[in-house]
Amino acid sequence: MSETILEIDDLSTQFFTSEGKVNAVHGFDLELERGEVFGIVGESGSGKSVTALSLMDLVESPGRITSGSVGYRNPSFAENMRTSYPDAVDGDLVDLRAIPEDARRSLRGTAFSMIFQDPESSFNPSLTVGEQIAEAVEVQQRATAMPRSGRAKTRGPEYSLGSYLMSMALPSKRYVTESSRARAIELLETVGIPDPAQRADEYPHEYSGGMLQRAMIAQALASEPDVLIADEPTTALDVTIQAQILDLLNELQAETGMTILLITHNLGVVARMCDRVGVMYAGEIVERGTLEDVFDDTVHPYTKGLLGSVPDLEGTADRLQAISGNVPSLLDHEMGDRCYFADRCPKAMDTCLEKPRSFDVDADGRHSVTCYLAEENYDPDRALEEGRFASEGAVSDVGGDSQ
Amino acid sequence: MAMRQFLVRRLLQGILVIWGVVTVLFGLRAVSPGDPATLMLGEGANRELVERVREEEGLNEPIYVQYLDYVGGLLQGDLGYSWQSNRDVTAMVIERIPATIELTIAATIVAIVIAIPLGVVSATRRNEPSDYGATLFSLLGISTPNFWLGLMLILVMSVWFGIPYPTMSTAAVPVGAVRIPYPSHIGYDFYGFPTGRRGVGFPDAMRALVYDQSVSELGAWLRYITLPALTLGTYFTALITRLTRSGMIDELGKPYVTATKAKGLPNPLIRYKHVLRNTMIPIITVLGLQMGTLMGGAVITETVFNWPGLGLRLVDALRIRDWPLMQGIIIFIAFAFIVINIVVDALYTKLNPQVSAE
Repeated sequence: MSETILEIDDLSTQFFTSEGKVNAVHGFDLELERGEVFGIVGESGSGKSVTALSLMDLVESPGRITSGSVGYRNPSFAENMRTSYPDAVDGDLVDLRAIPEDARRSLRGTAFSMIFQDPESSFNPSLTVGEQIAEAVEVQQRATAMPRSGRAKTRGPEYSLGSYLMSMALPSKRYVTESSRARAIELLETVGIPDPAQRADEYPHEYSGGMLQRAMIAQALASEPDVLIADEPTTALDVTIQAQILDLLNELQAETGMTILLITHNLGVVARMCDRVGVMYAGEIVERGTLEDVFDDTVHPYTKGLLGSVPDLEGTADRLQAISGNVPSLLDHEMGDRCYFADRCPKAMDTCLEKPRSFDVDADGRHSVTCYLAEENYDPDRALEEGRFASEGAVSDVGGDSQ
Repeated sequence: MAMRQFLVRRLLQGILVIWGVVTVLFGLRAVSPGDPATLMLGEGANRELVERVREEEGLNEPIYVQYLDYVGGLLQGDLGYSWQSNRDVTAMVIERIPATIELTIAATIVAIVIAIPLGVVSATRRNEPSDYGATLFSLLGISTPNFWLGLMLILVMSVWFGIPYPTMSTAAVPVGAVRIPYPSHIGYDFYGFPTGRRGVGFPDAMRALVYDQSVSELGAWLRYITLPALTLGTYFTALITRLTRSGMIDELGKPYVTATKAKGLPNPLIRYKHVLRNTMIPIITVLGLQMGTLMGGAVITETVFNWPGLGLRLVDALRIRDWPLMQGIIIFIAFAFIVINIVVDALYTKLNPQVSAE
């Protein structure tokens, strides 16, 4: 087992709506190893996107991260934080939830970067693509020039409204420098955009969807990130383009050795890209392990359902096995304390009325499942009667894939 | 290429609009009561004289001949003669343009300088006291009538606090109030434009600044223009504040803003370079449209402050039914409106790359 780069423990993000608290993510645990590609898979409304935003600290009101810790392993960052926030630092690991917002945000675009689902709406329509990538380069370069410790403690010479007004008068004071622009063109070339110098001066609407997603990857690479969070990077693209983008991500990952957290609803994407995978349901990971563990030695009925709903060209089944029902309500007062999948589960038993903990399937602890079936076999005599939760299981996808 | 085509089309549309304005005005004059010759000469004028004027002015010709004459004159830049002063209307319009443009631009600057920061603060501190303050201000600003605001400003600033600002005429001022002297140098400025109560025109103030390194002229100009500009600009300020606020809030919710945050871009850059810039696209449009309206709206403000602009002249012309002068001013305002609009459209394509592509 190589060293971990992210240790997320008991992370919860709630949305405070007029109908009540919505648990978009709750009790989320994950350890990411340096250099791996970890896939999070789940259906719409399972909290995948909110998880991604929570890790980037980009959850917007009415949402808020309400508990948990996000440990980030980086010796130099830990060194910088150690004197100011000794409580947050444990060895090389810094708990990002325990340091102030400024310090945490200084990691955006330098240690963490993100690729979004819809490239067309994730670029500013009125600035050229080159300019927008150059901005990301600039963030990275300035952070390198001015170590994070300086920013956290003294808040250094930060970019202010005054600096912006100044830059309107004096081109030499612009945020984005010529060298960043040149680097942006290089990055565009890296992600396979032909004629990058010319394309850099074009606006997002002049790009095709696939090209724009490449540009977004270039923008994410500009940060030289330790961790790249890719939130449904191929969902908005044609199938043929999807494969190209995934190959590109694979290539870049192999080259730079960055860690990728890939969020998708597509099991095919997971199979193509990931080393390990976590299956997410109702705001938590219900089964995790290596690809083989999860795909071949599936334990959780929900994972089985997901796998069963993928068309199999050589399979014998006439019909796809859809999972009946919908994602459960994530409203705090409706969730209760049971297995959230129980009302859709074909193998629900009386024990499922109590919330299962995470059980290890293998001895090495790599494959774990939040389901009693990991411990005991299904006993039809103890099955819950059909429609057990019909009255309370109000359908809701609040706080789901809003991003 | 597309730009030129676009401009030509807008220009042709503009010409059509002007023609419409001219025709409607001419029609109104034709059906309005009162014989022009009598209006020119005054009641009780010699019958023979009236008849001779009718003949000379072509008032005895059929209406369509009169119309063609008028339009023909316009095409040669001839707006006719003022019935009252017997002066060339074109000259009478031109000499009043600087004062109105000064006032309009000053009001617009007031609006931009106040409204955009206010709107930004309002949008970024939503539902905080500063947002409530800004919202209250814009509500008041939108619902306060110009003439009342102007009078109140004069009352408070000039009469109560004695800031020397020339109020209406030399008529009696309220007991106990400071009597405000006329500015000493009413007359014509270097360029031959009447300075009226503003005392000094902006070009003169700039000349003094550049050639004599004297700021006193500019100071005088500022003192005279501040209250009228505030009066004219308040509604506008309130409107732009609201537009900026709602536009910013809209933009802030868009996915690209989250993406810029994820890039780690400093907040001011996200806010101004990205969000405000996109918010400005619709605001520029309104700004342009409103600048045209301001020129027309200046009528009331100019009357309240006795500002020697087109609006004041229009009111004078209306009062004495000086039709050619009235027509000339209205045609000019329509013309200015159209020119401003074309400029705004051209600017819009600059700001919004998606428009120029179409």
